[in-house]
Amino acid sequence: MGTNGVAVGESVRDAVYRSCILLDDEKWSDWLNLCDADFEYEITAWSPEINKDMIYFSGNRDYLQSMTDMLDKHNTDHSPLRRHATVYTIDENDDGTLTVMSSLAIYQNLLDGINSHIDAGESHLFVIGRYIDKMKIEDGKAIFLERKVALDTRRLDKGSHWPL
Amino acid sequence: MPARNHNQWKANPPLKGGEWIDSRIYSDPEIYEQELEDIFKKVWVPICHESELPDPYDFRTATIAREPVVVARGPDNVVRAFLNVCPHRGMMIERRPSGSFEEAAPSGNPKRMTCMFHGWQYDMKGNCVYISREKEGYQDRLCKEDTGLRRLRCEVNFGGFIWVSLDDKVMSLEDWCGDAFKCIRKPLEAEPLEIFHYHKAVIGTNYKLWHDTNSEFYHDFMHYHNRVTGFNDAYFARENTAFKHGHVNVGSFEVQYDEYEGFESRAELSFPGLPPNQWYMVDLFPGMNFNLRGSALRCDIVTPLGPDKVMIEFRGFGLKSDTPEERRTRIDHHNSIWGPFGRNLHEDLIGVAGQGSAMLPGSENRRILHGRHENNLIHDEVGMRHYYDEWGKWMNRLPSDPSQPYMPAEAAE
Repeated sequence: MGTNGVAVGESVRDAVYRSCILLDDEKWSDWLNLCDADFEYEITAWSPEINKDMIYFSGNRDYLQSMTDMLDKHNTDHSPLRRHATVYTIDENDDGTLTVMSSLAIYQNLLDGINSHIDAGESHLFVIGRYIDKMKIEDGKAIFLERKVALDTRRLDKGSHWPL
Repeated sequence: MPARNHNQWKANPPLKGGEWIDSRIYSDPEIYEQELEDIFKKVWVPICHESELPDPYDFRTATIAREPVVVARGPDNVVRAFLNVCPHRGMMIERRPSGSFEEAAPSGNPKRMTCMFHGWQYDMKGNCVYISREKEGYQDRLCKEDTGLRRLRCEVNFGGFIWVSLDDKVMSLEDWCGDAFKCIRKPLEAEPLEIFHYHKAVIGTNYKLWHDTNSEFYHDFMHYHNRVTGFNDAYFARENTAFKHGHVNVGSFEVQYDEYEGFESRAELSFPGLPPNQWYMVDLFPGMNFNLRGSALRCDIVTPLGPDKVMIEFRGFGLKSDTPEERRTRIDHHNSIWGPFGRNLHEDLIGVAGQGSAMLPGSENRRILHGRHENNLIHDEVGMRHYYDEWGKWMNRLPSDPSQPYMPAEAAE
């Protein structure tokens, strides 16, 4: 990274943490506004059960917008998710883009997924993994080009309709 | 009718025998224990797929009715199943979900199943081939020939699935479910399949409630995706067909996938011999499901963990011959509906979790209605009626009153 490395690092961390807040708050369009028009998103996992890399979900920006716009038409577990990310590494690629790796833990605060009288308010760990983001810096601001949510968790119970 | 008082609520519904069941069969611990003994230890269970152990010495572990199982591919390419238990002191021999015995375990030798505890070793046919300090400890009283693994019935069939039974006298697999597989056998066996998806769910519900959801399509009202891509004349003409041993097929129709915004037709990648965008379902007693939606195959396998707890393993398959682009498209098709972040699976699992919460062990028994008759068409509940009649025979219990012995539905009226 060049002499403006400190500023780049701050922009990157700000973008990653801002993405967590916007996703936590289910502000899907605002989250997508942090992303490039050609943004690509994937949720993946490696399975020691079948010895394979797997893709659990994928889509571009338009697809994500469409899926999130239609959430009201679906029956969904509305238990809020809370994303805890820590940016570990920021590496510059040959083409000037950045690869950003963050450790990720997502907690679920139960609301209506099971029996709300008993369970609502309880929090538990939902998934663990990493965000592997590809970004570019534009006008001093970090823009998401790609996000891979690389999960370790493969016991996903009810799963989710939401991007992680 | 207005809301009912307790007596009215507890009264039997005005339906015929076999058209409703007692919710105790979903929650009673004694019934659950009997199901493990009298059903799950007696039937064929598809525990994994041959593509999960492609090479000699590859293995995969599983559990049937609390019994740990290991399947391994031998150097002769034959897949065999064993109880995953060392005959010495009962240690589980292999603890990993999958892997290869080609490399030596820390306590053992290459190409052997080794019990880490005391280093006893077994070959891929289950023969005991090494007992640590055998002569010193056992002299001539016990030897390797006395301590082979417990072998289990094992067959590879219906598209390469590996079927295991704990019952040495179980009927042939073909007799067990060959008829039920006829509708998708050609697409499944035209060429080798390959697994691309695995995840699991542990849900607080009874295993039969998951199978019920796979057996009835009336719940498509829950799925926005299925309403907009189906719900036409062809959908309502889909037929449920019952087969011996409690199995059921749900017939096909052409799904209009592109009616859901962002989704696409699956016609170009339909399985061999399957007309474009068709959708067949095979539900096997007591809780296995094979679901072929045009370009991707899904398989659900239940492992009951308690009267109110089940593990469901979800697998997705394409063709082994797929190009990377074809495979990627199949994966996207699979995930869009059936993935853990897809549109339908989440809704199905919320549904059965809600049933489980309302039928906890000890809760008041309720009458669960299976009485829809629509000439065996898609919203007819014949699949569940057929299943529970079979369940009653295996358990010698009447589904509408499990404290009574089984009798045919007509006699129970």
